[in-house]
Amino acid sequence: MKILLYIVIQLFVIMMVAPLLNGIIKKIKALSQKRKGAPIFQMYFDLYKLCKKSSVVSDVSSWVFKVTPYIVFATAIAAALLVPVSTMIAPEQLPGDIIMFVSILALGRFFMMIAALDTASTFGGMGSSREALISSLTEPSILVSLFTVGLISKSTSLLQIMNVMKDKGVPLVHPVYIMIFFALLTIIIAETSRIPVDDPSTHLELTMVHEAMILEYSGRHLALMEYGAAIKQLTFITLLVNILIPHDQLIALTGISAVMLSLTIYLIKVIGVCIIIAIAEVSTVKLKLFSIPNLAALSFILSVLGFLQYFVLGGRYV
Amino acid sequence: MEVGLATNLFKAAILFYLLGAAVALILINRHKLCNIISNAIYSVASALLIVSSIIKIISGSGQINISLFESPIPFITMNIRIDNLSAIFLLALSLLVLCVSLYSMGYISHYYGKRNVGIFNFLYSTFILSMIFVFTSANVVFFYIAWELMSMLSYFLVIFESEHEGNQRAGIIYIIMTYVGTAFLLIGFMLIYSYTNSFDIFGSSAAIPEFAKNIIFIMFLIGFATKAGAIPFHVWLPQAHPAAPSNVSALMSGIMIKTAIYGFVRFVLCYLGIQNTWWGVLILCIGIVSAVLGVAYALMEHNIKRLLAYSSVENIGIILIGLGVCFIAFAQENLLLGEMALVAALFHTFNHTLFKGGLFLGAGAIQYSTHTKDMEKLGGLIKTMPITALFILCFSLAVSAIVPFNGFVSEWLTYQSLFANIVSGQAGLNILSILAVAALGFAGAMAAACFVKLFGISFLGLPRSDHSLNAKEVPITMKIGMGMLATLCFAIGLFPLLILKLIDKVVFSLMGSSILEQLHGGCGIAYYSLNLSSGSISPAVMLIAIAGVILLALLGIRIIGGKYIERKYGTWDCGFEALNSRMQYTATGFSKPIKIVFKILFRPSRETVVTGDLAYHPESIEYITADESIIEKYIYNPVCERIKYFSRRMTFGVQTGSIHSYLTYIFVTVLLLMLYNMIA
Repeated sequence: MKILLYIVIQLFVIMMVAPLLNGIIKKIKALSQKRKGAPIFQMYFDLYKLCKKSSVVSDVSSWVFKVTPYIVFATAIAAALLVPVSTMIAPEQLPGDIIMFVSILALGRFFMMIAALDTASTFGGMGSSREALISSLTEPSILVSLFTVGLISKSTSLLQIMNVMKDKGVPLVHPVYIMIFFALLTIIIAETSRIPVDDPSTHLELTMVHEAMILEYSGRHLALMEYGAAIKQLTFITLLVNILIPHDQLIALTGISAVMLSLTIYLIKVIGVCIIIAIAEVSTVKLKLFSIPNLAALSFILSVLGFLQYFVLGGRYV
Repeated sequence: MEVGLATNLFKAAILFYLLGAAVALILINRHKLCNIISNAIYSVASALLIVSSIIKIISGSGQINISLFESPIPFITMNIRIDNLSAIFLLALSLLVLCVSLYSMGYISHYYGKRNVGIFNFLYSTFILSMIFVFTSANVVFFYIAWELMSMLSYFLVIFESEHEGNQRAGIIYIIMTYVGTAFLLIGFMLIYSYTNSFDIFGSSAAIPEFAKNIIFIMFLIGFATKAGAIPFHVWLPQAHPAAPSNVSALMSGIMIKTAIYGFVRFVLCYLGIQNTWWGVLILCIGIVSAVLGVAYALMEHNIKRLLAYSSVENIGIILIGLGVCFIAFAQENLLLGEMALVAALFHTFNHTLFKGGLFLGAGAIQYSTHTKDMEKLGGLIKTMPITALFILCFSLAVSAIVPFNGFVSEWLTYQSLFANIVSGQAGLNILSILAVAALGFAGAMAAACFVKLFGISFLGLPRSDHSLNAKEVPITMKIGMGMLATLCFAIGLFPLLILKLIDKVVFSLMGSSILEQLHGGCGIAYYSLNLSSGSISPAVMLIAIAGVILLALLGIRIIGGKYIERKYGTWDCGFEALNSRMQYTATGFSKPIKIVFKILFRPSRETVVTGDLAYHPESIEYITADESIIEKYIYNPVCERIKYFSRRMTFGVQTGSIHSYLTYIFVTVLLLMLYNMIA
């Protein structure tokens, strides 16, 4: 029963909030450019419109092309189910841990990369090849960061990690967590195709990564791809804020009102991270492809330093 | 009684393999008949062996003893002893051989009338027999004979298509490396004998002093790492595996290189016992380097089989990471962790047998219908070979450690053993372990990139040449062979405890305690989830979640958007309107960014040769790219140069070709020996 309730609340929150984030980030960008910008709920309208449109499918493509949007969307949701939005609603056990989380997202990415090659378009190949590079570069740092917080919590389960972090009160004052926070933030920017790694608003084919892979999609397929990407972005942000800025320990209430309060604080935290991402996006320029390794190396070094700090501080003091 | 049944089935399987070899020789001139009958016999034999090894493992920790041959000459006895460790490797072998033999019924048909199919099948079955004896021999001499036979027979199989350019050279490199490795093993075995006066593999190593054990370990490490193809001993692997016919490559990559893993567990872990932590640290380091460099070099290849060969190096690296943690844990007497890491290593060995065997069969299928191994000439095969494409997609997901396939579960166990090792180890080991975690993550993402490239470039898009335009789906037997392996990969990925229960029994009989209790804790329905104290996964639940979400998405979109309307149109070509297959991304182009970022590993070079006036009238432009392996450049080439230099000097000074000086050598040797005898 509790599991069902968890799935319903988790899905509802994730699916409702995910498109909002893109709206907020776009709005902040627009305001910084002295534009009025699209309404923050624009993405919901876009998704609705896309669902109603017919799909144009390349005559070169195979079944892989049509299956991929569903797999990308489903893996994003499945990964989101492993990262509870609030520890209060979470069941005792989730069917996966950090390694499963990484692997589930890898499944979606694998299909997105092959689908990009399926249409015989150069842009698809370009996006796919660049995504291969970026994902190989970020993978070590994502695992080391999550392993470090996992080691502190003596568990690889995300739920368990969140519970331990919750008991620690305000973790972000320790150097370990600061390092891990910035390592993860860098990864989120890379994984969600944002400036300075990729530019989500560009349609200049030569600089695209994520947009190049989904260039051939239209109609409901495109809606699923966009929605999947938004959910993946929210999942990563949830991972960051619920592990490193836990809030459930602050709530003294019980029952429904506690859950509502917890979700509200969660929303505020998520929007806060969105503002950081938006500021990063308006204040930097897109890096050229071969500078991305430096950014990834920075993130990896931060995560390893975080890990080493954990030993310097002796583990139990952290 | 059960053990008796297993014994009889094992004997029957051996007899069937021998029968198959005999049939292959008898029907040497009736190619089709010979191939079908002998492969049918091998399939039956393998099925018997599968049943036999499963019964053996389930029935408990006992051993099966069979004496094949006793002779009056000391040590020349052929005793077979099968314990659970042998049985699990026999199980992997027989599963693979069953699928490969079914596959060969179709695959070998392109040899009919062109090559000697009888000889090929004879070599094939004796090669399988030699591997069976490697896994089951009870004394070192017999093990050594089987090991040599295995190396030699596989050499003949590697050079079977010897008229192709490069295959002879590949064979030479293979045989040299294999003998160098075997020489180190021989030193190890002789050292053991000199201390214990016994050739019994199951004997005690108590008589060997500590320093000698260290030397023996180093000898075994070099010997077995050479057979396993771990970096820096891997040079033969990417040469030999692509040269062999694909069904043989599947066996070589699937199971032959695993004889080295068997050797590590049998001789180092069980026989010598782990003495020092640095043994494990060394193996862990070799594992990390192999995993990272193996996959990095795999990504640069556009010959399918060379790519797969390098990917084997990577997977051996992952297995060695597990084994390294296991050795470290046993050295520190952390039995529980040691057992878990051993389970992880054995499980990955088992899984790699299935998916890499399958991938080589798939590569063979591509070669069978397109006559090329070069990805740059393929493309669009998913339309002409849809079934093969589906199977290769499954294997690709499995090898990239992606849910819900078997590769993921064993990598998960490896990650968990590293995690536990960080909790329990000392500072230095912890740092090494977190680096291993990073290496595993990097290798996983790179492997995904590698297999996106393999699948995407060869099967998707437009055909890049007539080879792939005119491809046809392969015969049904080949599809069955690949399909069985793909099904196994999927089933084990969903229900890992099916195999983990067997592997746990193996570890139980070796170490005396079981970790199964820990693995599936308080779970209601057995089989579907894996739980450790530090984390739990259930791929089956995740698959159900994914499937559920897909159904909901289909339904939701149907409700919102109505009926699906599709319009076929050309791929976006910027209005150029003449998109052709040469404008697609190539395999080389796909891996170019990674090549540039990691140029320190690949040393890429390029050269543009222009004839004529470049600016106005170029007659031809030739663009050559090349990369070289740093290991070959900085380790192998200097060593080879020194050896060549030394041998050239020897021809002048010592080996002059004059019979008189040779007679003098013999005379002096005899004289010295007599003197030694008089003094000693």
